[in-house]
Amino acid sequence: MIVGLNHYLVLSAVLFAIGFFGVLLRKNTLVIYMCLELMLVASTVALVAFSRYNNTMDGHVFVFFILTVAAAEVAVGLAIIVALFRRRQTIQVEELNALKN
Amino acid sequence: MNHELLKAAAESNQWLAIFPELLLGSLALLLLALEIILPKKQHTTIPAVAIIGQIGVLLYQLLHFNSVFVGHDTFAGLLHHSANGQFMRAFFLLASILVCVLGTIALAKQKMPRIEFFHIVIVVSAAMMLLAQSNNFILLFVALETVTVGFYILVSYFRTSPLSLEAGLKYLIMGALSSGLLLFGIVLLYGVAGNSTLPGSSADAMNFNALHTFLAANSHNFLAAVGIVLVLSGVAFKIGAVPFQIWIPDVYQGAPTPVTAFLAVASKAAGFSLLLILTQSVFTPYEYLTTPVLGLMAAATILFGNLAALTQHNVKRLIGLSGVSHAGYLLIGVVAAASQPLAIGAIGFYLFAYLLASFAVFGVMTHVAGADDADQELEHYADLAKTHPFLGAVLAIGLGSLAGIPPLAGFMGKLLIFIAAFKAGLHGLLLVAIVGVVISIYYYFGWIKAAFFETWRAPLLEGETDPRPVRTPVGVAAGVTLATVALATVVLGFYQGAFGDWLLSLKF
Amino acid sequence: MNTLPVDLLLLSIATPLAVALVIALGVPVRAAKGLAAAAFAVPALIALFLWSRFSSETLHHTYAFYKVYETGLQGVGIKLALGLNGISLPLFVLAGIVGLAAGLYAIQSNAERLKTYLVLLLVMQGGLMGVFASVDIFFFYFFHELALIPTFIMVGIWGGRDRSYAAMKMTIYLTLGAMLSLIGLIAIYYKSRAGSFDLISLREELLANGLKAGVQKNIFGLLMFGFGILVSLWPFHTWAPLGYGAAPSSAAMLHAGVLKKFGLYGLIQIALPLLPLGAADWARPLAILAVVGNILVVGFITIAQRDLKQMVGYSSVMHMGYAFLGIAAMSAAGVGGVVLMMVAHGFSVALLFLLSTSVYHRTQTFDMTEMGGLAQKAPVLAAFFVAATMASIGLPGFANFWGEVTIFVAAWKFSPVLTALAVSGVIISAVYGLRSAARVFFGEQTEALAKVVAEKPVTDLTCCEKLPALILIAALFFIGFWPKSISTPLNSALEVIYPAPTVQLAADAAK
Repeated sequence: MIVGLNHYLVLSAVLFAIGFFGVLLRKNTLVIYMCLELMLVASTVALVAFSRYNNTMDGHVFVFFILTVAAAEVAVGLAIIVALFRRRQTIQVEELNALKN
Repeated sequence: MNHELLKAAAESNQWLAIFPELLLGSLALLLLALEIILPKKQHTTIPAVAIIGQIGVLLYQLLHFNSVFVGHDTFAGLLHHSANGQFMRAFFLLASILVCVLGTIALAKQKMPRIEFFHIVIVVSAAMMLLAQSNNFILLFVALETVTVGFYILVSYFRTSPLSLEAGLKYLIMGALSSGLLLFGIVLLYGVAGNSTLPGSSADAMNFNALHTFLAANSHNFLAAVGIVLVLSGVAFKIGAVPFQIWIPDVYQGAPTPVTAFLAVASKAAGFSLLLILTQSVFTPYEYLTTPVLGLMAAATILFGNLAALTQHNVKRLIGLSGVSHAGYLLIGVVAAASQPLAIGAIGFYLFAYLLASFAVFGVMTHVAGADDADQELEHYADLAKTHPFLGAVLAIGLGSLAGIPPLAGFMGKLLIFIAAFKAGLHGLLLVAIVGVVISIYYYFGWIKAAFFETWRAPLLEGETDPRPVRTPVGVAAGVTLATVALATVVLGFYQGAFGDWLLSLKF
Repeated sequence: MNTLPVDLLLLSIATPLAVALVIALGVPVRAAKGLAAAAFAVPALIALFLWSRFSSETLHHTYAFYKVYETGLQGVGIKLALGLNGISLPLFVLAGIVGLAAGLYAIQSNAERLKTYLVLLLVMQGGLMGVFASVDIFFFYFFHELALIPTFIMVGIWGGRDRSYAAMKMTIYLTLGAMLSLIGLIAIYYKSRAGSFDLISLREELLANGLKAGVQKNIFGLLMFGFGILVSLWPFHTWAPLGYGAAPSSAAMLHAGVLKKFGLYGLIQIALPLLPLGAADWARPLAILAVVGNILVVGFITIAQRDLKQMVGYSSVMHMGYAFLGIAAMSAAGVGGVVLMMVAHGFSVALLFLLSTSVYHRTQTFDMTEMGGLAQKAPVLAAFFVAATMASIGLPGFANFWGEVTIFVAAWKFSPVLTALAVSGVIISAVYGLRSAARVFFGEQTEALAKVVAEKPVTDLTCCEKLPALILIAALFFIGFWPKSISTPLNSALEVIYPAPTVQLAADAAK
């Protein structure tokens, strides 16, 4: 079997879907956070595949930007999660409901 | 040197095209440097440096409003400078100046590091300014993420408050989710448009012009359509359109009040300037798809925003949900812009009126709020007009303008949007908008009622403390700012002068 | 064209607004009172002066003193165009004079937070002058809203019982009405393809190419219900008695006397002449709603009222029924009658609100069953009140008479049955009018009143109260005995705006 563009795209779509539904359905903030990263990574897989098969360079370059952005997001996000855990002693989503009218 | 030579020299030096953004970046770094250099006692001057510096940049931007770059691409097509982009740059600068003014008041009530707040606000503004001029998906994504990550920090800035942190976390999850959707949409568009077996394909598919050429040649490509819908969903998250509005009330309530204002005004405006760029110049061949999607979104957004705001008692949630409905009215403008260029000017005017009115209201909120920034109830406003007539008047003008009551600027914004919608034949949406406006009168009026008509249930029982937070006295800078914003709201309501002329002639 | 050295129309709008700003910025109360009195007098004097000048002016498409200012939205056809024609002139005068009376009454009232009260009232006055001086239908709407907003606030702060609820209800009803009429106005602007909100160009454009009957019907429907809600068309009238009952007297005088006429004026000046075919479709339902709802149903409700101010409120709703009937008659004569009646009703209802508040200051209650015998202590007050009641019923010698008679004559051609029912409404208004006068001023003093009087002896009208009342009653008599002063310019305008063939065509279609 020759691995073609479509295989990469299916892989990317599956990873993206896992990430997307993980964000919506999981309760643990850290797991949600990993799912978010999964979505970004899924995009990069597709991006590199497209870039390779279309013979263009933009995609490769974009991947670096996405990784940088993801790193920044992780830095800020984990800081918020840690700070919140120190205040509330929990990172379960259903227990974070202080903001209610 | 003659004029032609000067022009050629200016055109060859493209850094001048983003000079305001560069200035902002330097200003942001200067603030951090000042914090290290200056002795602790003089740290209070740093916010003033931030504000004055930004006013300087704003003046520079206004003086160079008709720069030689308008109408041209720079940086190999990364940026496209348009008249609308120039307007949005000034808009974001003004918004960030006002946020900094509110920030000095709100931060004074908290024991918080001060300087980083201004630093991040300025960086975020610069990123928004780039966003409004982007002509390439890579730049768009990076600028958008700079804005979003900056907002994660700003929303959870009061890090001793669990509510602020919770809001930050919620914004983080929702913001990252929307970025993911947007990114996947970009990837799909890039992939399809780079496919050399399709007509109009391009090696530079991240560029908007190339992408537009491709979309025009393949106006019914399935993958491209999926990509467009995903990109629009990502942007819809930023503007808080239904069904992507769930994060709004919680995040607006938990975020520090100046940040809420920044989110409500600048972040929303950034989303709309992006939406206009996309629907006006890139996705035009897919109007058959974007128009009904955005139209449905507009109707649902107006109805949801207004109905949900009806039952709110926390003013931050209330203004957040009412902001959702404003996004709906603006979406009507975006839909109308597909056939009526007048709508672009209308959106510009609406956004500007919304900025003035929102900052009037948020300014009053900052003064009324106590140490617990998330706890701002309607009943805290009792007696406000009697004890603080100035704040009461500013609040009434701001809320009246948000409600769209003549002779205030907000009414003119709505009127222009309605005229554009009428010309575009969007009768159904107009009807929804009317219903929305009438509903919104109820809750805006409820707020005015709380501030003007109701008296606090005095006197207190013995041993009972007044549950209302102590109102901050209005300082000189804040007073001047609020008075200017309120006055501008009134004046723009009946005299638009050259500003109205210019906006109405705005084309994309 | 405007031949005056100063644009007096603009001055009449700007003076109250400018003085409102000055007072808001902070002047001592005494100075504020003086300034406010001057600011109320200026529009009134300008109105009278322009009235006297009107016949000698050269008209620009029926408009005298016509002048256009650009405000920045000429791109969508919005300009501030000011001018007066035969229809707006009487209402402009009405606004000036009632404004003066209401202003003077407010200045002497010593209300709590008087300065804020005066500021709001001045803003309202500026808006009112603007409504009737505007030739541009956008600014016509705009000034109406400018005058409307202070009303809500005044009801909410200085209102009587239920003020919060009343203010809320008024706001929501009137906003709904205003939004509907705004959409109707935008529809006319867009469908006419004149590219302008200027009434003159709209009229010319629509005269050349009228709209399709279906379009006219839809737009007229919007305007009829939009304006109708603002004028308290049954069954959308419930805000009116509640609001007027709660409103402070000067606000009620200005709103019931002048601002409410906005809707009728809009129908007469804009909707009816521009959309004759649409009007023909709606004439019959409008007339039925007006006669059965406003005149008969509300009339009987009025009889049942015990609260003096609410009764005046209901009676004003009822009288709007006659105005709607005159509009439904769709003839120049009917419309002429409506304008006369609007002016007359404006003066008389303002006077009634003023006097009821004066009564309240003496009895400390609005409940008519707890009054009686006030005439002995306050004969001047009683005389004024009886005169105002007679005017409001429509006795000959008062302006209201001419309005109602003209309307009935015009409506007879349209529908004899409805006209007969409407005429019987005069009896209803005679019943409640005279009964209220009898209950308040004549007969035995009630025990409740005796208690109040024992604490605070009843005095007659003070000079400060008399002045505004005298102004209003003089105006009523002047127009009553010399209706030609209004009807001559009115007829000349109606001849142009309602050319006989179109009206006839539409009237035939209605049958």
